[in-house]
Amino acid sequence: MLILHDMQAIHWAVAGLGISAVTLALLVIANRRLGVSTGFEDVCALVLRAPYFHRDALKSEGGWRLPLLGGLVLGGVLSAVLGGGWSPTWDLGMFDERIGWGPGGKVVWMFAGGLLIGFGTRLAGGCTSGHGIFGLSNLELPSLVSTMSFMAAGLVTTNLIYRVIL
Amino acid sequence: MILVYLVLGTFFGFVLSRSGAADYDFIQGMFLLERFQLYGIIGTAVVVTAPALWLLKRYGKTLTGAPLVVTPKPGHRGNVVGGILFGVGWSITGMCPGPILVNVGEGKVYALAALAGALLGAGAFGVAYPRLQRAMRLPPLARGTGDG
Repeated sequence: MLILHDMQAIHWAVAGLGISAVTLALLVIANRRLGVSTGFEDVCALVLRAPYFHRDALKSEGGWRLPLLGGLVLGGVLSAVLGGGWSPTWDLGMFDERIGWGPGGKVVWMFAGGLLIGFGTRLAGGCTSGHGIFGLSNLELPSLVSTMSFMAAGLVTTNLIYRVIL
Repeated sequence: MILVYLVLGTFFGFVLSRSGAADYDFIQGMFLLERFQLYGIIGTAVVVTAPALWLLKRYGKTLTGAPLVVTPKPGHRGNVVGGILFGVGWSITGMCPGPILVNVGEGKVYALAALAGALLGAGAFGVAYPRLQRAMRLPPLARGTGDG
């Protein structure tokens, strides 16, 4: 089942308020900056011995991101269960209609995109949440630069795929 | 405390799932400038969080009574180069880091491939950090590029 294909999305203002509530809660509870991509490093730290994954800035945080990441997965499960039932799916909306690759192609496509996301967010020092929401809210210039960079790159890539190539 | 983060993550994930932030079509619609939804979500989150954050930093304390400290992220060339790489990946998969996990939870099988790629990409970055440091003007290794 593809979520939101037979149900209405919640209003953007409500969703924005919800994300803001999570951001402020993390800050007030324990001085945490909202951010997801550093959680990938916490996962890497479990298996990799490179000094980068055992640096002070990461260790001093005490791995609070792992339960946050686990919660994100749970949130997806909950959304599916309450939205008509959880079942594994390969459905991918307009990708299926316009590109139409099967499971093998999707795995390669998604893995390649994932590599860029993992490497890129860590090089940038944040993702949509850490730079786009927290960093912008705190009026940090590097976050504005990063947000403009990933929005521009996404805009160009999607337009290339769906308006130029296809 | 672990439970608190788990509950906040679950709420965050549920909102991402039901708002379209973890939906391939909504992400492409955002980049095609055909759907306002994601701009509305991020815009609202920033417009509401910014003044609250300003007030909290000025007058607030954490729940344990500790002073509220926000360490800004460092600026470096990685902000642009990494941002561009991430933007391409976001467009390809229709997912940013949070929604990768949400999509895994929703049962989208291909999201597992995106997650594997993201973990491997982050791992490769960490291993390559000393070699990227100079060209990207990255902060000392003990600090990292910025947590978020």
